[in-house]
Amino acid sequence: MKIRLSHADGRPLYVQIMDEVRSGLVRGTLRPEDPLPSVRELSSSLRVNPRTVSQAYAALERDGVVRIRHGKGTFVAPGVRPDERERPRLAREVARRALADASRNGLALGDLMTALREVEGGDPHQDGDGRKEGGQ
Amino acid sequence: MTDIAMAALPIDLGSGPFAVTTRALAKRFGAVRALDGLDLQVPEGAVYVLVGPNGAGKSTLIRTIMGLVRYQAGAVSVLGRDPADRGAEVRADIGYVPEDYRFGYAWMTVGRWLEHEAVYHPSWDAEYARELSTRYEIDRGRRCHTLSKGQSRRVQLLAALAHRPPLLLLDEPTDGLDHVVRDETLSILSEHLADSPTTVVISTHRVYEVEPLVDHVGVLSEGRLLGQLPRDELRGSLLRYWADVPEGWSGPGELGGRVVKRSGAARAIEWTVWGDRDAVTRGLSEAGAAVREVAPLSVDEAAVALLSETGRKAS
Repeated sequence: MKIRLSHADGRPLYVQIMDEVRSGLVRGTLRPEDPLPSVRELSSSLRVNPRTVSQAYAALERDGVVRIRHGKGTFVAPGVRPDERERPRLAREVARRALADASRNGLALGDLMTALREVEGGDPHQDGDGRKEGGQ
Repeated sequence: MTDIAMAALPIDLGSGPFAVTTRALAKRFGAVRALDGLDLQVPEGAVYVLVGPNGAGKSTLIRTIMGLVRYQAGAVSVLGRDPADRGAEVRADIGYVPEDYRFGYAWMTVGRWLEHEAVYHPSWDAEYARELSTRYEIDRGRRCHTLSKGQSRRVQLLAALAHRPPLLLLDEPTDGLDHVVRDETLSILSEHLADSPTTVVISTHRVYEVEPLVDHVGVLSEGRLLGQLPRDELRGSLLRYWADVPEGWSGPGELGGRVVKRSGAARAIEWTVWGDRDAVTRGLSEAGAAVREVAPLSVDEAAVALLSETGRKAS
């Protein structure tokens, strides 16, 4: 599992770690009973305070996503069903960020929904007014 | 437009336990008040960063905790002891990286200097010292006075960490380190914190370099703390609000928080406010502002906002 953090991100680091674990579950790179990196390994590779990693793991345990086994490490909970809980949860988190970004730019939910469908559908207008023409 | 109001940040961290406290600490150098009634509280196990402009008293404070500077008034407790009376004992329990990268025994080889440090700190972990020596690519045969600033820093960091002290005092620890060594140092410090129960006090102008490790922040100005609080509290309560406002907007009157900084032109304003996020957002909205974004500040940005405020108040 590869965890990436952004220090420019507004989310606290422990929340970013939690979301990265959720994302691993949704993508299938993390599966039930898989071990997570130890607090020491992960804090060292991310260059963060080990308490931040412990905080993320403890919060994930409270959410039923992982199980902390004393002296053995942290593992993905055996009964975790990513599609039922983690996927909608992660989607809400991404939606919240997209909405905040839209609002920052003065866009409403409707603008965002329309643009999302256009971009997803490969609408020819997606690049705005003339980025394609401008390039030639 | 600018508008400044008092922004008193929290300064009391509660009842502890604390690894280091000072109470009404004062130190003058001639007519200069280096420390002026300073109440420091460093919780046990914290990674506490001291920020502040040049001359704010950061290094004097650290040297006072080390027992290297005698204070004139107030009280100091370091791991339960007063460094003014029991300086040698206190220093044996501290891993110290001084601001100055020159060595007291500059003619010694690095190896000899490290042996000297090992004798001084009975808990010296020789195996750990060797591991750090390898990671930092330290040449034990070099004489201390021939080391570059960055090489000296690495030797000092090794010596500070190798006895796994209960308290680390790091004065500009990343000064002189290149990108790769700085990154390695952060990795070493993360592992050190995971392996050894340690309280860390870092004084630095480069907060962004150590920010992911930090969990407490103290903002120092003119020998006093403007605030000391957990990083999460700073992140949650000192926020920047961007809002669009009507033409000729007169402001929200009473905000549910304290304005640290307000700037912007015409119809778009940016506020830095200490206070409850929902209450401030409501206050702005009720006054007719459309809040577009609310975001936390980095420790650097927070320090700049708070310190420039005091600068303007003073002038």
